[in-house]
Amino acid sequence: MAATLTIAVPSKGRLKDQAAARFEQAGMALRQIGHERGYRGSLAGLDGVEVVYISAAEIVHQLKTGRVHLGVTGEDLIRETLPDVDSTVEFLKPLGFGRADVVVAVPDCWLDVVRMADLEDVAAQFARAHGRRLRVATKYMNLTRRFFAASGVAGYRIVESVGATEATPAAGTAELIVDITTTGTTLRANHLKVLEDGLILKSQAHLFASRAASWTPDATKLRDAIAAKLSD
Amino acid sequence: MSAESAKEFEALEAQARALLASFARAGYEPVAPSIIQPAGMFLDRIGESIRSRTYVFTDLAGDELCLRPDLTVPVSRLYLERHPRADVEARYCYNGPAFRFQPQGRSPTRPREFRQAGIECFGVADRDSADAEIVRLAVEGVRSGGLKAFRLRFGDIALFYALLDALSLPERWRLKLSHYFWRPPAFHELLARLARGERPDSDGPIAALADKIGKEMPERAEELVADYLDAQSLPLAGNRSLNEITERLRDHAADLRSAPLPKEVATVIDYYLAVSGPPKEAAERVAMIAHGAGLDMSASLDALVRRFDRLQQSGIDMAQAIFAAEFGRDLEYYSGLVFQIEVPGNGAEPIAGGGRYDGLLEALGAPRPVPAVGAALHTERLLAAAERAS
Repeated sequence: MAATLTIAVPSKGRLKDQAAARFEQAGMALRQIGHERGYRGSLAGLDGVEVVYISAAEIVHQLKTGRVHLGVTGEDLIRETLPDVDSTVEFLKPLGFGRADVVVAVPDCWLDVVRMADLEDVAAQFARAHGRRLRVATKYMNLTRRFFAASGVAGYRIVESVGATEATPAAGTAELIVDITTTGTTLRANHLKVLEDGLILKSQAHLFASRAASWTPDATKLRDAIAAKLSD
Repeated sequence: MSAESAKEFEALEAQARALLASFARAGYEPVAPSIIQPAGMFLDRIGESIRSRTYVFTDLAGDELCLRPDLTVPVSRLYLERHPRADVEARYCYNGPAFRFQPQGRSPTRPREFRQAGIECFGVADRDSADAEIVRLAVEGVRSGGLKAFRLRFGDIALFYALLDALSLPERWRLKLSHYFWRPPAFHELLARLARGERPDSDGPIAALADKIGKEMPERAEELVADYLDAQSLPLAGNRSLNEITERLRDHAADLRSAPLPKEVATVIDYYLAVSGPPKEAAERVAMIAHGAGLDMSASLDALVRRFDRLQQSGIDMAQAIFAAEFGRDLEYYSGLVFQIEVPGNGAEPIAGGGRYDGLLEALGAPRPVPAVGAALHTERLLAAAERAS
């Protein structure tokens, strides 16, 4: 029987474990079908729901195209990836895990840099001294562009970084970074400080609904049931 | 190519042939620089606003490349490849595709692939005549494309710098204002803040350090900053030198102590930036503002008026043109006269534009500053506007 509603949950790491714990606590345990690394499953107590296990980043794309009705993923990935968030997905329920702040951080030896406004002055000075723009290492290119534009900072360029972003200023491949942090420990260990007004986004995992999926009356009922259980 | 039918393609090709032929007759050698360009060159020169609209990719060798968003930088690189010493005059023309992502979606006048036809003139020391020549050829190009009704809009980046120089501001404010000139909203905020005499935060450990080193000679100040970093176990990172960090802390200290920017100075800058009108009246208005404030801007102002006179003599009706002191503030590599050709009813999308960019070639690696001026025509817009008008 074809499923009435499809829900995507992260397929690995802490997000997977935390999502499993959250759904179990809400009385609808995730059951993986087949062996340990299977990528399909069901929700205990809710017939007609198919669970698919995919990566948190891929969940954003599946929500966008409507191949899944619901998805559990981070707000940071949603806001980074989708050009028009509100017309693509609906925020159904914040889930209280996967918390991370997306922040602007600079070397802590930059005593003269405290706020975003300082960055534009530094960019001007840096261009005079080094003949090039400040480089911002990040995997959040769109969040960075929007936030820097809103803060009036223009004299920079982004270098894409997919791992160990926090090490790039010490390595000399970037001057500053935009990255996620939970406790700030990694930033401090790498001699970076968050700017006073450098918080771009307080992110956590949410249950999202796709606006592009085909919403039959039965699918809508299941969606409401899942959202209600997560609210209890 | 945005020409998706054979008819559109033919029309664009015919227009391109006519444009290139007229540029070649004027002594401009046709060139065709690479479509794929090293990304770093563009990204360091043009800034994140065009960067975010440039198609950037990494090839299999790991090199960061881009589809050129513009032809001025590729043609400038070509000049430097041919003439590494940058010591000869050269005139080039081109017609070829350029690529820009359109965040608001594509449309016929905002295509992601478009053809830019243009001219660039390098190494000509007689800036008056080179500027006038480029504007005249751009106008002739638009006319040869079949467009008769259009308007010229001028600005002059050098005139603004002349104003800042004449105002004898503290160096740190002059640098700051000339940098923020390219970011109009931030500029007006900065000007208002300086005029209000708003001080930076005067508490906190950094203010204390800034205050301490502000009273010292630069070398001693740098030692004190080094000691502070040592005491806090903060290693130097992020490619900025001790000297750069110290310099900004000293500026901070100077801002804490200094008197506000005189209100009259802020007013003069505001008055200047508000100047807009037919070139002759606009130049008179700038002269009046300068005279009223006791400033000498005559060298730059005379240079601008000489260009206007030459254009009038070459058959362009300058009374119909506009000079706006604000114009050109979003084109960061320009350094002098800037202009665009607009069509009424075509909104903010100019048919052609250009200007002087004397700093660009040195930034691209030339061993000396090279006088440079150029113009580019947006060929799809020209064709569409000519068809609408006929």
